[in-house]
Amino acid sequence: MRRFSAILVLLTMLPLPVRAAKVELPTWEASESETYYLGGGLWPKSLIPDAAAAAQDPGAASGLAPGVAPDGTILPAAPGFEIVGPPAPGAQQFYGPQGPVDGSEATPGNRPAVIENPDGTFVIPQEIVEEEAYEPLPPLEGELSDLYFTHAPVDFLIDPQRLLTEQKSNDIKRFLEFHSDESSFRIFVMAIGETQKIPDHIDIEALHKKWFSDEPTVLMLYYREQPQLTRLVFNESVRNSLPDSVFDRILQNTLREGGVTELAPDQVEKMAIELSIQLYWLSKLMEHENKDDQARAANSTIHELVASSDAPELLREYAPGIFIEDTSKVISLVFTLIVVIGGLALIGLIGWGILAWKGRENISGQPLLFPDFKISPRLGGEFSGGGFVGMSFELGDSSA
Amino acid sequence: MKCPKCQRPVDHEAESCYSCGYSEVVAASTCGSNVVLLNRIHDAAHCLRKHERDDLALTLDQLELKFPQMLFCVYLGTLPSHLSLSELGFWLLNHGQVKGAEYARPNENAVLILVDMNTKQIGVSMGYFAETLITEEDAYRALMAARPNLVNSEYGEALERIFLRLGKTLDRKGRQLRKLTREQLHAGVAGTKNPVLDLPNHIAPHLVARVVARAEPIEKPLKSA
Repeated sequence: MRRFSAILVLLTMLPLPVRAAKVELPTWEASESETYYLGGGLWPKSLIPDAAAAAQDPGAASGLAPGVAPDGTILPAAPGFEIVGPPAPGAQQFYGPQGPVDGSEATPGNRPAVIENPDGTFVIPQEIVEEEAYEPLPPLEGELSDLYFTHAPVDFLIDPQRLLTEQKSNDIKRFLEFHSDESSFRIFVMAIGETQKIPDHIDIEALHKKWFSDEPTVLMLYYREQPQLTRLVFNESVRNSLPDSVFDRILQNTLREGGVTELAPDQVEKMAIELSIQLYWLSKLMEHENKDDQARAANSTIHELVASSDAPELLREYAPGIFIEDTSKVISLVFTLIVVIGGLALIGLIGWGILAWKGRENISGQPLLFPDFKISPRLGGEFSGGGFVGMSFELGDSSA
Repeated sequence: MKCPKCQRPVDHEAESCYSCGYSEVVAASTCGSNVVLLNRIHDAAHCLRKHERDDLALTLDQLELKFPQMLFCVYLGTLPSHLSLSELGFWLLNHGQVKGAEYARPNENAVLILVDMNTKQIGVSMGYFAETLITEEDAYRALMAARPNLVNSEYGEALERIFLRLGKTLDRKGRQLRKLTREQLHAGVAGTKNPVLDLPNHIAPHLVARVVARAEPIEKPLKSA
């Protein structure tokens, strides 16, 4: 059996050289016979023999192609060196990370290189994060002080140093304008730097009295990113009409809102909104004439106060908490709807009951006796004269 | 009223049909002159199930309790082609004897419902007394109310419904009659004015005209007074 299989193998192997001699194999052309390096950092440089020499004389060491660095990058052609023949197809393409131009080693992912200590430990250098720092603000003197305190403000947001972002400033202005239209109190926000101080000769309360004596106004003095330093200046008449606890609470609530965020524009916005809400409550509080009502209203929460029915959408957007929906209309509408539906249902029920009573087929009640009638017979019938009513119940036949 | 044979109008005192000469004698010569015994629910066609028959019997019991003078019965059969339902009803009411019917329920007080399963027809034959209480319109309405059941071959329910509707009609008629005084009742029976009962009009118009002409001179002085 083994012999037979060996003979069979020999017979099958014999024609192979003959077949191989007939196959035409492809031959390498001269232009394609150069070596190409894939690059991509596949091999560490230590494995490349004489890497420095290869860099100085590309192609000399280890048979590198001219103009190709050991790591696969394309090097500028050396003067006097020209590539003979057509450029190799695809030789200019490189699919991998290229090293730094100056030849220094680059760590992958731009991470700082790990520093190895002599004792074998490694130290990761701390990344230096560039912190965004505000420019030091000038003191409120001279022209800057004049911009703040010389003239009565026109805009509700007094920010000549542009401490707030433009977008937020516009939003806050828009909100403050809207608030002044809708509320009896106006709000002016004066933004100054956190390191700046109001000059000693400037009396804010006197300025407030000078500027805003004709109309109830609140001046909010805001220090950038320092909401705890915020001051609220009210009209003297307003402050005298209510106990100090009311104004303390307003200030606390406002500061609490400002402390929620860290960015100055957001702080101003939130504090302005909260102040608007508090002023709304304050105006309601002031509408009460006697002291008892004031005390009662002071103890009540603002949510017990119903907003006006024409509350505009803008304030709803800014301060949805200020609005309590007037549910009386909704309740009355629902009540009316229920009454109408209930009435219709009752009418329908009564109608159904009447129809059911009329259409009832049960026979009940006392026996019913008819009076006797003497009917003359006809057609010779003793009991019946042929009185008959008939009908067909054949489908398609409705004849009686 | 109409002739059971030719369906032409018949005078309420006619001895035979003026058109075809049909009478009880002709009916007896056709169907027999003997007396036949009927069940209250005579299902010759065997199309009622037991529970349908029981329910129908219960309904008939209630009706007989409510109307002690009336006789309610049913005949379901397959009639030969030469015999119509009206002829059979006429003959059965004059020659039939319903089992269990007391003396107080003569055939003239009978309401007999007939169903022909061959021709798919149903009818109500009434005795003299019954036809004074139930008009043709009421009877037809009762039949129509049961048509859906009949079409669906629910014969038991259909018969129940017909009887109940007729019972309602009788109840209503009884309440109307109870409100009338004896004089009004007799006047209604006489049919001179405001007929209480739905008696057929006399077929001879000159007799009616004569009765009206006789009554008018009496009413005129009353009106002027």
